[in-house]
Amino acid sequence: MSYAGVTPSARSRAMVRESRHLLFTVAPGAIWIIIFLVLPSVYLMGVAFMTNGPYGLPEMPLSLGSFERLAGFGFLGWSPGNFYTLLRSLWQTLVSTGLVVLVAYPIAYYISTCRDKWRPILLLLVVVPSWTNQVIRTFGWMNLLAPGTPLSSLAEGLGLIAPNMGLYPSNFAVTLGLVYNFLPFMVLPLYAAFEKLDIAQVEAAQDLYASPVRAFWHAVFPQTLPGLLAGVVLVAIPAFGMYVIPELLGGGKGMMLGNLVANQFSGGANWPLGAAGAILMLIATFIGLYAMRRIGKRLGGGEEVVI
Amino acid sequence: MTDTLTLEVADVPSAEVEEPTREASSIEMQGLHKRFGRDTVALAGVDLVIEAGEFFTLLGPSGCGKTTLLRILAGLEEADDGRLAIGGDDVTEVPPHKRSVNTVFQSYALFPHLSVRENLAFGLKMRGMPPGQREARVAKIAEFIQLGDLVERRVDQLSGGQRQRIALARALVNEPDVLLLDEPLSALDAGLRSQLQVELLRVQKRLGMTFVFVTHDQDEAMVMSDRIAVLNGGVIQQVGPPREVYEHPANAFVARFMGHDNLYSISARNGDRLTTPLGVLSVEAAGEDDLLLIRPETLDLLSGEQPGDNRLLATVTERLYRGSHAEYRLDVGQTTLQATLNNRGRRLPEVGDRVTVSVAPEDLVTLSK
Amino acid sequence: MKKRTLKRTLTGFWLFTLAFLYLPLTVVALFSFNASNSAARFTGFSWRWYERLLGNEEILSAFANSMVLAIVSSVIALVVGCLIGYGMYRHRHRKLGWLIVLIYLPIVLPDIVFGISEMAFFVQVHRLTGFLQPGLGTMIIAHVTFQIPFVALIVYSRFVGLDPTLFEAAKDLYATPIKRVFHFMLPTIKPALISAFFLSFTLSVDDFVISFFTAGPESATLPIYIWGAIKKGVSPEINAIATLMIAAVAIVAAISLIFSRRRQA
Repeated sequence: MSYAGVTPSARSRAMVRESRHLLFTVAPGAIWIIIFLVLPSVYLMGVAFMTNGPYGLPEMPLSLGSFERLAGFGFLGWSPGNFYTLLRSLWQTLVSTGLVVLVAYPIAYYISTCRDKWRPILLLLVVVPSWTNQVIRTFGWMNLLAPGTPLSSLAEGLGLIAPNMGLYPSNFAVTLGLVYNFLPFMVLPLYAAFEKLDIAQVEAAQDLYASPVRAFWHAVFPQTLPGLLAGVVLVAIPAFGMYVIPELLGGGKGMMLGNLVANQFSGGANWPLGAAGAILMLIATFIGLYAMRRIGKRLGGGEEVVI
Repeated sequence: MTDTLTLEVADVPSAEVEEPTREASSIEMQGLHKRFGRDTVALAGVDLVIEAGEFFTLLGPSGCGKTTLLRILAGLEEADDGRLAIGGDDVTEVPPHKRSVNTVFQSYALFPHLSVRENLAFGLKMRGMPPGQREARVAKIAEFIQLGDLVERRVDQLSGGQRQRIALARALVNEPDVLLLDEPLSALDAGLRSQLQVELLRVQKRLGMTFVFVTHDQDEAMVMSDRIAVLNGGVIQQVGPPREVYEHPANAFVARFMGHDNLYSISARNGDRLTTPLGVLSVEAAGEDDLLLIRPETLDLLSGEQPGDNRLLATVTERLYRGSHAEYRLDVGQTTLQATLNNRGRRLPEVGDRVTVSVAPEDLVTLSK
Repeated sequence: MKKRTLKRTLTGFWLFTLAFLYLPLTVVALFSFNASNSAARFTGFSWRWYERLLGNEEILSAFANSMVLAIVSSVIALVVGCLIGYGMYRHRHRKLGWLIVLIYLPIVLPDIVFGISEMAFFVQVHRLTGFLQPGLGTMIIAHVTFQIPFVALIVYSRFVGLDPTLFEAAKDLYATPIKRVFHFMLPTIKPALISAFFLSFTLSVDDFVISFFTAGPESATLPIYIWGAIKKGVSPEINAIATLMIAAVAIVAAISLIFSRRRQA
């Protein structure tokens, strides 16, 4: 090739032009996110390793004290309040995610079996409540579960709760609120999975396996697994960091990690402790995202439901 | 079906259509090189002159560099090296929006947010032509291309053939020095395609504009072009009028690309007598070339064995009856030969028949590998 | 026969779930018309809580704050996000992994972490420099931050859906770089810009947690006002303002349904 003599000027000029273009279009937004989100997050992570000052503001020296307190080691030895909050967050996340799966699975299947023209409407019906403000939705449950309401009276009559207590505030109310809040997050990816379901495989399975239960486990369930796992991540991550629902429905004994963190930045005023809690949430988030990517790569079709 | 609306240029009274005042422009390319990435060579030194008013076709397989060359003419791609002049002016570094060159894209690239009328007026509007003048020009081109009421439609209401027509009109309305056409007919079905080939040719002859046409279809190239350039591997293999390229291909690549299969290596020569796998054949003018090309339509098939000079004994192994003609595959010695016979009512040999192939020395062409 | 029982059971479960989804909203709407201020018993129909709303300066100013916040932040996010979306499209063949991570960060970060890190940052910057006093300004900054990714992704996917030769056609038809933006790109992606604006607006109005942590004393939005009212003790006025917000969502839902039907037709 007689290429040695070719001057690269046109090529390099084009590259400079393209790079400048990239800079002009992307820089404003990228810088915005870096200044107003990356920087604050990095600062927050730093705060987690500082000492709590007299006004709740972080001070030197660096220490791991906040993490110790989160794990239950207070100034006065073992004070497990924070640790219990952590356990409660995990427990609530597990229970509510499990319940959401149990409700969403048949609902997603039901929608996918309806006629084409009805499906968007049914999906919309599931999603619309989540368009209303979270505070208002939770407030609705406060009204429903308060002492003296029909639901509370029913629970009283069945002996499930003490007289005049009402169903809220309680851990039960928080679970209910979480399930209510996250149901659409699970229905959507599951529905997408059901819609892609290979009917031929299901029919083949019905021929191969005598019982419908076995046909389900061998043909249907594996195909919906990517959607299910995506839904689990979409529900579990925000549930673990939930603030509004436990704050309104849980009362003092229903507190979750989100409340613990938020309180350190308002009334409680212990920034380092709050920041340490935030780091736990971040770790949970990134584990979830990593899991989702792995699932997406292994099973295919897991990632597209993220947006 | 507005789809079948034909463009009968000859029917349009010439007084109503203003001939473009602009003179057609020639194109000169000198040592054009283009590379993509580190080692994909699209053009490896192209020197080419396209005459003013010519219907010029760039022909070649995909990846041969023909589209890259067209894009360089349009200014959509910058050559790594080399010069380009249009109408005598060096435009190597002129951006596309400042070149008086328009393109009909393969995908038509009609703007979905605009009506057909606005699509047609787009180029004039961008050049700053006042609305009144613009409308008049659009109306004129719409009449010229016989768009009828299509101008009022939305782009998504058009069929493939209509889009093609609009794309052509949108380019022509600007009265460019050169019109570039990037496989503009490849998305259409065969019937519509041959109809539009004729129309396109008439438009070009009528306007006398320089057209540079890109295609990978040798039939299309032959029908349309004044001259054809065959490209392969970013290098021009041959430039010439269709007959020359078809009948006297410069090399084996061109011959194969033009659809020739009867290529035989020459193993020995004695004056004008060449030894080939078919046997010994006389040619009119044997150069130093090493390949012999026999065009199937130059052959004659005689029934039975009638040996003689430049006659080959053969067996029919395959016959494809095409109505107007029949295509034969024949076994000649150790090799095969293809022949085409016009159906002039005579007996057509059948599979299994022994036949004699008669070859005229003046129809034989030799070429280099 | 078995299939039919399954279908019936499913339909029953669907209706039950639907009731579960809409019960809280219905209760809020119902009690907004309650004559008494009991949250447990409906005693008769009345408009009184709505009338009270009109006289409540705090609610009116919260409403105004919500609107200003939503509109201003959506406009800024539209401009900035649109630029990123186009940049991502134009340079999609380059390695832009870092940019994708940056874009997804606001989406994946838990609300509460998002809110408190911004709050901590604003408080410290204000302490050190006097700038960024918590208020409407800081809320706008925070909202723009979580709106940018959505705008960018919507604009990006619109560009990806376009025939790339359209960009070349515009160049070929004498459009200068500036004219390409105003006569080709912006008009072409107009539908995407409109939906991006509405999504940003909705996200802003809907947000509570991030607003709550970045707000100042004078900049309460409707959700923040409602939150405060709930914390102070439930007042039927909340039912009324909440019902209005639910109604707004219902109207948007109806419009989007009509649009999707029309597009299908």
